[in-house]
Amino acid sequence: MIRCQFEGSNEIGVVSRLTNAYALTCVGNSESFYSVFQSELSQHIPVVHASIAGCRFVGRVTVGNRRGLLVPNTTGDQELQHLRNALPDSVVVQRVDERLSALGNCIACNDHVALVHTDLDRETEDIVADVLGVEVFRQTICGNALVGSYCVFTNQGGIVHPRTSVEDLEELASLLQVPLIAGTVNRGSDVLGAGLVANDWAAFCGYDTTSTEINVLETVLKLDDDDDDDDDGDLAGTSARGGGGGPTPKMRDALIDTIV
Amino acid sequence: MPAYNLKQLSPVPTAPELIDIVLLRTQRKTPTVIHPGYKISRIRSFYMRKVKFTQQTISERLGAIVGDFPRLDDVHPFHADLMSVLYDRDHYKLALGQLSTCKKLCESVCRDYVRLLKYGDSLYRCKSLKVAALGRMMTLLKRQKAALAYLEEVRKHIGRLPSLDPTARTLLVCGFPNVGKSSFMNKVTRAEVEVQPYAFTTKSLYVGHMDHRYLRWQVIDTPGILDHELERRNVIEMQAITALAHLPCAVLYFVDVSEQCGYTIEQQAGLYHSIRALFSDKQLVVVANKTDVRGLDELAPERRKLLDDMCAAHASNGPDSDQRAPLIEMSNVTETGITDVKNLACELLLSVRVEKRRSAQGGGRVRDKLNRLVVTQPRATHAKTLTSAVPGTQNGDESRVCIPASVLAARRAARLAAKARRAEEAADRDEAALAAAVETGARLEAVDEVRERAKASRRAAHDLVAEATRSGATAPKPATERDLMWLGGGPGVYSADTSREYLGQLRCDDWASDVVPEIMDGKNVLDFVDPDIVARLAQLDREEAETDEALAEAEALEAESALSPAEAALVKAVRDKKKLDRLKSQNKRTNASVLPRNKLRGRQMDYEGGDGGDAMDTDENEDDDDAARRARKAAVKRGRSLTRRRGDASSDVHMSIDGADEEHTTKKARLRSVSRARSGSRPPPRTDRGFKDDKQKAEATKVGRKMQKKINRLARAGEADRKTGPKLLRWRLEGKMSTGTRRSR
Repeated sequence: MIRCQFEGSNEIGVVSRLTNAYALTCVGNSESFYSVFQSELSQHIPVVHASIAGCRFVGRVTVGNRRGLLVPNTTGDQELQHLRNALPDSVVVQRVDERLSALGNCIACNDHVALVHTDLDRETEDIVADVLGVEVFRQTICGNALVGSYCVFTNQGGIVHPRTSVEDLEELASLLQVPLIAGTVNRGSDVLGAGLVANDWAAFCGYDTTSTEINVLETVLKLDDDDDDDDDGDLAGTSARGGGGGPTPKMRDALIDTIV
Repeated sequence: MPAYNLKQLSPVPTAPELIDIVLLRTQRKTPTVIHPGYKISRIRSFYMRKVKFTQQTISERLGAIVGDFPRLDDVHPFHADLMSVLYDRDHYKLALGQLSTCKKLCESVCRDYVRLLKYGDSLYRCKSLKVAALGRMMTLLKRQKAALAYLEEVRKHIGRLPSLDPTARTLLVCGFPNVGKSSFMNKVTRAEVEVQPYAFTTKSLYVGHMDHRYLRWQVIDTPGILDHELERRNVIEMQAITALAHLPCAVLYFVDVSEQCGYTIEQQAGLYHSIRALFSDKQLVVVANKTDVRGLDELAPERRKLLDDMCAAHASNGPDSDQRAPLIEMSNVTETGITDVKNLACELLLSVRVEKRRSAQGGGRVRDKLNRLVVTQPRATHAKTLTSAVPGTQNGDESRVCIPASVLAARRAARLAAKARRAEEAADRDEAALAAAVETGARLEAVDEVRERAKASRRAAHDLVAEATRSGATAPKPATERDLMWLGGGPGVYSADTSREYLGQLRCDDWASDVVPEIMDGKNVLDFVDPDIVARLAQLDREEAETDEALAEAEALEAESALSPAEAALVKAVRDKKKLDRLKSQNKRTNASVLPRNKLRGRQMDYEGGDGGDAMDTDENEDDDDAARRARKAAVKRGRSLTRRRGDASSDVHMSIDGADEEHTTKKARLRSVSRARSGSRPPPRTDRGFKDDKQKAEATKVGRKMQKKINRLARAGEADRKTGPKLLRWRLEGKMSTGTRRSR
């Protein structure tokens, strides 16, 4: 889990998109942000400068996983060509004619399942299913139709809007088939999609994210690979003491002391 | 966080400054020109305004000061007590009280003098009253000199107090002077408190922060406390006592077992027992400090027992630690036990805090946040259906995750490197501790122990570094885009070469830097880029051929179902009929444009007039009765007339021309009718307009003349002429004459 900023802003999910097969970052004035991703990821996956419709918000208007990448119809031909050139052949890049063109806000996905905005076109839904190879569910996150903004999940786990009820969490977890927790990033921000980008083995979050938040994220996204730590690393329920168990026994008390 | 802000009090002016501020403001914000010739009401209000304005400024200023300073009853009890210790509660309250009394007095002075000013009968008297009023208010302000100066000092001091949050997670360090409290503080935080080998180096509370268990902890260093009664404690000691009394925290009671601080263990135990009441509901750790000089095991048994008694006397450490306070050996010099002390104290406090939160509202608060505390696992039953629905997920959870092998390798390497780094740091730390121990002349055994430790950790570090180097974990990372940016002119100048990103992704790396034109021959190149264009063209051809065939078939079918001539004629007749009907109904429609209404009416009148004329003629012939005829004519006239109606006299011009009723139109009537017709078309003259009758007009004329008189006398052009010439003519009044000045006459 790495904390970073884009030109002084903590909303790094707006300007970047991270999947298991590639990472996109926007073209900024400075290469610092790109370099954070580059130094962390470029040995394993391509990290690509991208722009969509000449703008920086690549993270909010694109959606993808290791099989494909969907871009909105505002994407220019050259931009599309650049993406096709820079991404591996196994990744299908597809332009989507969808009224809700902020695809990143309206769709959240991992390599197997996608949650989509309830008003999304049926055609787009089919494209999502075909190109990304996922099972598609129309869902809301505690009443918010913008599923991409209010949840982030990978193949290993996910985090959703802090006000999601336990029942909703259970339903979502069984849909997505990954462990989920409600939480925040960037010192209490509920816009998780904007503050966090993650894949199965790396994650980046905004600079304001507290260590408690980072720990929750690392635990639920299973990024905590430090095996000589004295943690037993097991998740909540099993070793919970009393009413509520925290993500890890060590974390639990700190969490209770901060948020309760 | 508290609602009051002790750091942001605005500066308090001294009494002379305040007087200057008030008077200057009055001078600048109120009018300054007044003449004895003005109306007395104007002069009075001029001076009243001055007095009132001065009073308002004073009230505003004093009110701001009184409101700004926190009231001791409103702040957190810790802050209230600390302030009463530091600034003397009575003095503080008195100073603020005096200011508010002064404010009230100024208001009453103002009230009195404004009342007097109402009776001022000349400019001089009014001015004297104003001077008296301002003078009295300034005297009142001058008397607040001491209070204002005191409050300014308080403000400066409050601003320099550490920003201490009474509700945060807090460790509080206390004990006799010189037992190593500040040294400990410096070890665990980065507060950099001054450490000196004499008593009362620390004269006030200091706050440092540290991280433990992902949380932020506040460590408070207190001044040393001596063992005597509360009444005899000085201000420095009282600060420590205040912190102990009011902050919910974990307390570290430091005992110097080496007695280098100048106090025996007995004395330190005595202090502990005298302030024990303050620890009663807190978590306590007794720290036996300076064990590098004398270890706990070297203590005489009765002294050891004193320490044990101290621990046993405390009984509120929570269920986990069987209620007793733990006793830990520690040394700031060799750094043994520092982490233990810190961890233990934090654990004790955290467990109590967490327990409190768990039990709050019967566990309701924890239940509300359960979604954020517990990871929700997917239900296994659904997993089965999902794996069957989505291909490629049969192997359960592991196959769903996609982590490249290179990532796993990199992780292993990073872990190894981190371990090596940690080991090296530990070795460095141990060596530093060894150097410090040798320098301060600690016990031989202690030095030996540290030396052994340092050697071992250095050996371990060497091994780990060697292993990490072998595995290539410490290899330098390749240059990032950021480095290139700084080489290429920095942000804003450098632009990344995106074609580098194509390397390895295209069929041939040489293509990466190829320039692909966007527009060629006026066409977008990408519209024509299509790898399977041939196949798709062939398909299009096929589709077109199919469509052609289908069309031909359809035509053939149509030809077969042609009509016979008779049927065709019938169809034509039906269609013609329909068309005709349509045209007819279109003609019938009236929403076409129509004639203007007046034109229409003219036409109708002609038509009806013809009729009516006939009727009238017949009537005249048949009946000569005048009354009956008039009545009929009146009946005709009833209703809306199309021509102008102007009384009976003018309406019957035709008739009089006829000569049939000449006897009815007298000369007078004729004349009147003519004059009326002319006067009715014109408005009355302007001099007559707007008056009810002649009487009113006469009156208005009289008043107008009277008004004009003054204007005429002053030779003014009119009401708007407000020009005034110079009052005193310089050429008339200045300059020397042969016999004295002109003024002297």
